[in-house]
Amino acid sequence: MPAEDMGKLSYRMRLVFAVSSAVFLIVLAISPFKDSWREWKHYKRGYLSFAQSRPDTKVLISDYRPGIDQIWLPELNATDRCTTCHQGITIANLAGNSVPQPFRAHPPIPHNVRDWGCVICHRGQGPATEVAEAHESTLAWEQPILPTRFVQASCGSCHEQDLAETPQLTRGRQLLASLNCEGCHRLRNIDRPAMLGPDLSSVGTKVSREWIYKWLKEPQTTLDKDGNIVVNGYVSEEEPRMPKFRLDDSELKALSAYLSVQAATPIGASKIDPGVVARWSKNPELVSLGEVRFRQMFCSTCHALSVTRAGESKLIGGNIGPELTKVGSKVKPEWLIAWLRDPQGYLPHTSMPRYGWSDEDLYKVTQYITTKLSDSDLLNGVPQLGQPTDEELQQGRRLFLEKGCGSCHAISGVSPQKDFGPDLTALGGKNASELSFGTSKIPQNLVSYIQAKLQDPLSVNPSARMPQYKWNQADLDAVTTALLSMKGAPSTSALQNLVVPKTRAAFSPAGNFAQVYDRYKCFVCHKFNGYGGDLAPDLTYEGSRAQRQWLKDFLKNPQTLRPTLVLRMPQFNMSDKDAATLADYMSVVLQHPSANPESVDTKQFTPALAMLGKQLYEVKYQCQACHTIGGSGGYVGPNLSNAGNWLTPSWTESWLRNAQALLPGTMEPRRNFTEEEIKALTAYLMTLRAAIKPQTSASLAGSSATVQGAGK
Amino acid sequence: MKIRIWLGMILIGSFLGTGGCRKKTESPKVDLLLSAYDSEPDSVDPQKVIPLGYQAAQGKRIYYQHCVWCHADASPAGPSNRSNLTPVPTLLTDGATLNAESDEYLQNIITLGGSAMGKSAMMPPYGKMLSAEEIRSLIAFTRAVAEPPYQPAVRPASQYAAR
Repeated sequence: MPAEDMGKLSYRMRLVFAVSSAVFLIVLAISPFKDSWREWKHYKRGYLSFAQSRPDTKVLISDYRPGIDQIWLPELNATDRCTTCHQGITIANLAGNSVPQPFRAHPPIPHNVRDWGCVICHRGQGPATEVAEAHESTLAWEQPILPTRFVQASCGSCHEQDLAETPQLTRGRQLLASLNCEGCHRLRNIDRPAMLGPDLSSVGTKVSREWIYKWLKEPQTTLDKDGNIVVNGYVSEEEPRMPKFRLDDSELKALSAYLSVQAATPIGASKIDPGVVARWSKNPELVSLGEVRFRQMFCSTCHALSVTRAGESKLIGGNIGPELTKVGSKVKPEWLIAWLRDPQGYLPHTSMPRYGWSDEDLYKVTQYITTKLSDSDLLNGVPQLGQPTDEELQQGRRLFLEKGCGSCHAISGVSPQKDFGPDLTALGGKNASELSFGTSKIPQNLVSYIQAKLQDPLSVNPSARMPQYKWNQADLDAVTTALLSMKGAPSTSALQNLVVPKTRAAFSPAGNFAQVYDRYKCFVCHKFNGYGGDLAPDLTYEGSRAQRQWLKDFLKNPQTLRPTLVLRMPQFNMSDKDAATLADYMSVVLQHPSANPESVDTKQFTPALAMLGKQLYEVKYQCQACHTIGGSGGYVGPNLSNAGNWLTPSWTESWLRNAQALLPGTMEPRRNFTEEEIKALTAYLMTLRAAIKPQTSASLAGSSATVQGAGK
Repeated sequence: MKIRIWLGMILIGSFLGTGGCRKKTESPKVDLLLSAYDSEPDSVDPQKVIPLGYQAAQGKRIYYQHCVWCHADASPAGPSNRSNLTPVPTLLTDGATLNAESDEYLQNIITLGGSAMGKSAMMPPYGKMLSAEEIRSLIAFTRAVAEPPYQPAVRPASQYAAR
């Protein structure tokens, strides 16, 4: 339009310009208006009025910043603006549940919140400035906030070494290791256990084809009509190690056929001296004496039995070995004898010690097991299977490989498939779009996916090969936490530097000691230099603590030192030579570097000093609250009646000075003893020389509590 | 005609501009156990589960390591040492007794031991074993599991407060 025509615009045209200018002005005005009502500004204003409502306003607003607040950690590739709304996270006055969110202070943790930001641990979308976008997954961002229940996973991403503060993560890692998840999956920072599933090379010599059929159909666990978990007929909350595979009847027949012909090594020495049999077989007390012996050997330290009391059945005993309630109907009698004589002959990697049995004891105990720990109805409902056919054997071998049995169980001549299941080393960092939820109706996020997959592998993938495990809620959450911690290799070198690697505990003795140690499997219950079980006391410095003669006597005839704890050290029927080998090695090698036996001169322990120690023990420090001497005292610490024969004076002094330095995590309270008090107490303890009465079998029959963590 | 289309488009555009304003999102329901670091069964009603925050969860760990042996009726090892002692130690869940004690008092008796506070010497001092932070977490746990539940005393407004 030429310039001179501008004045000739029609009325309509002018109207259009006027209206559109007005509209543009309105639209322009909307944006500052919208801006002033942004969600985060709402919380900024909310914080100010919240601070006004409290008496400590000045403290609360001393660090107030009106704009968007951001923690930027370029090295960790993290930016978060969470503190824009969560303004009180570092203000101690705002701690506690009474303070409304988002203003509550962060609970005190070992890391400074300002240095680490929020998303490193809590996930979520750091740069977002709206509640929904920051906390949940949206189309643009896919990592939702990690529920606090699983936040220990974030500790585990850097701390490969287990932390005391994260029990759930530690439990999850233990489960992943003990269930041998590494058998099929690649995982980060999880060890393969020494004990996988049993070696099945000779399983045909141990159990019948019918039993294998039943076991494969329902490995240990069934649900009864009330929905309780039933293990071979009684209720248990223990998770079975063997998962349930989905096998149809022909597959069960084929696999049981294949396994029942596995007999790589014949049964070992299974004959019992005929003289012993002739003498005992007619004795009416044979079985009850066998039961007494069974108890005296402390089989229940590792094996559980079902006990019915007041109409309620429960498993009593340890869970290191399998439960034995109906084992008499499971295994063949001659296999049982050979097994008890030499467990490592059948299963080289077993945790079962080799006891020094006499033929008489062996006969009594096996008779007890086969008559009392049995159930003639165990194999009811299992079809008569007869001799396996060639076709069944071939199909069985194929199934053994197809189902991944070889990942946990060895059979001679069968090599397992490598990487049978998916690689899970980076599962914990996956976005929802990388997961396949199938037709399931669960929320589309990683936590729900992992839990659904663990509870029912078919729910998210109908063709999954993963077998069915049984979890209680706590274990399910623990395993979920451990899996969430596996976020793959660190993405930046700064993150790599943060990783706290796991220290590998190792104890590899040599010589005669190693042979005896391996025969009695000391490491199953005791820890040596960080390696071993935690059922019994840590023996890393046992040589500094206990006197050699006491060690030898104890190994020959174990007795309990802690009155609350059921004695669980088995009676190994150890020879004098074996006991001497163990005691010698311990008193020479298992020494604490700072405990010097020469440092204490026992000549200075005068009766007067001992008398002073007795007064300190009984009146000033009241040690009897936890320790027993003679017949009276507490149940928490060890019985000190025989301390003079048991403990070395140098250990006792160092222990009183600082017990935690000798044994980190011990319960012994650290007191402010003066050096003189330490001398006096040691002098008093060294005068205590009363042998503790061995536990009788009658008291053993009544004692049955399972005890965890007794080594502390 | 063209003009009308223009006008229409401008109007639609401005509506869209305002329509994009923030819609009120409902805050998601918080599952107490999912938002808890750990949990502990209620001492009276075992079906009820008490959610614990980070601090109380650390207190729970320390409680089960050091305190449970005398301050509970059953310990992880079975029987409790409580019945052995005179005077009988207070149960940790005994809110009727412990709710009346201040945080400072509990901090002192755990740190310095019973004899320092005029109580039984059987209660050892833990000041050299546990850090002040650990003892605070132990108190947080005590408060969390108290039965009847612990109600923190209302903080008296300071006379020097800003308003």
